[in-house]
Amino acid sequence: MSIPASLGGWVLALILGLFLGGAPSWAAKVPNAVPPDETYSGEYVEQPIEFPHDTHAAVNEINCLYCHTYARRSSVAGIPPTSKCMGCHSVIATDKPRIKKLTEYWEKRQPPPWKKVHDVPDFVHFTHEKHLQRFVFENEGMQVEDVAEVCAFCHGDVKSMTVAVKVRPLTMGFCRRCHEANEGPFDCWKCHK
Amino acid sequence: MSLKNLFTDWSRYRKGIEEGGFHDYEHMWGMAVDLNKCIGCNACAVACYAENNLAVVGEQKFYDGQAMHWMRIERYWDEPDLGEDRVQEFNHHGASFIPFMCQNCNAATCEPVCPVAATYHTPDGLNAQVYNRCIGSRYCSNNCPYRLRFFNFFSYYESSWPEPLHMQLNPDLTVRDKGVMEKCTFCVQRIRAAKDKARRENRKVRDGEFLPACAQTCPTGAIVFGDLLTLHTPGGGVGETEVANLWRAHQVELGKTKQTKQNPELRGYRVFEKLNTEPCVMYLERVREV
Repeated sequence: MSIPASLGGWVLALILGLFLGGAPSWAAKVPNAVPPDETYSGEYVEQPIEFPHDTHAAVNEINCLYCHTYARRSSVAGIPPTSKCMGCHSVIATDKPRIKKLTEYWEKRQPPPWKKVHDVPDFVHFTHEKHLQRFVFENEGMQVEDVAEVCAFCHGDVKSMTVAVKVRPLTMGFCRRCHEANEGPFDCWKCHK
Repeated sequence: MSLKNLFTDWSRYRKGIEEGGFHDYEHMWGMAVDLNKCIGCNACAVACYAENNLAVVGEQKFYDGQAMHWMRIERYWDEPDLGEDRVQEFNHHGASFIPFMCQNCNAATCEPVCPVAATYHTPDGLNAQVYNRCIGSRYCSNNCPYRLRFFNFFSYYESSWPEPLHMQLNPDLTVRDKGVMEKCTFCVQRIRAAKDKARRENRKVRDGEFLPACAQTCPTGAIVFGDLLTLHTPGGGVGETEVANLWRAHQVELGKTKQTKQNPELRGYRVFEKLNTEPCVMYLERVREV
């Protein structure tokens, strides 16, 4: 009795999903949040290795926090140490040209000189930690597995990018409008330093 | 939003004598400076330079009154017209001195005169200066009775930290450019870090958990820093801080333009409190041999 019903549900969902197109939006909504909607077309930043975010985050479904592990407890999200890359890539896809390049860096004992894409000015005090606390860890009904949706507030849909590109303006107006919509702090000195 | 911020929120935390000088939010950071303990060694001023990326302006600009010392030891020498005997006496005693930093007044005179609301009162009881908003009109500096606001007349940073000294700059603060007013912040970056840490551990900020650079450096412990909010509770609040204890012990009360205490043994006073600026810094008078 229940099998056809759930099947029907799946079919309906599939049709709905196809109709709406793109990502399954019903599963990944962030509760108690008003996501910002402004966009920005940032320049493509040439990186030492063209890191494919889509392969990692979309195809293999690796959680953002697995590599950007400091985001939950520090002001910066952090770039993983090369040892973390090598943890997988000493065995996975070792014949690909990008991985060969990475292995070269590893053997030279040098981190790849990644370029910063999302950079806020030096006078801004921004902490990843507090934003993740608000939207993920202290947010009722929020699954840590869906953290990418929260990251997407400022970083856009990284799952569809190779090298991350700046797709939100990250200006003061952008921050303020989001703080207003989500009842963030008003005080100037919360962010300005 | 910005207009709302300007007209309503902006003055929300200014509390003068008519409201008891009290603040109704999380914290009210304040100080007690014991001049009896102060030896005038200037370590606090040096610590402030190191902590807050204060520009070194050079000798000539110092004489021109452009020094950027947020924290300074003010010296006062005797009056020459005191008469022969008295001058002797004062020379014997030496200069009198007082460590002087922004008094973080609850009803600060610098705040209402800013044409762009770059200086305002934070919910933490601090008198904040937002460098990005400052247009350099210098009204605030002119209106500060304590002369504790400092203006960047030049791009001092260009010559202040020649390589490799730029490596010593504190990343938690900006380096201020030409045309911006700056002042003591009670080391807001440390306050911010302590509050972040407390929030992470799901507790309140403990007394003495962090100190501003001057208080941390003071070799004699003359500067006591902490939360004054417990002064609000008559007869001693729960978890009274050291600084609130000192204020209470010396019967210095907020919301007064003149302290009414009778006992001459109690040394506490606030500088220029008759101006109703409600400073958050209390000084304990130096006891001298007569």
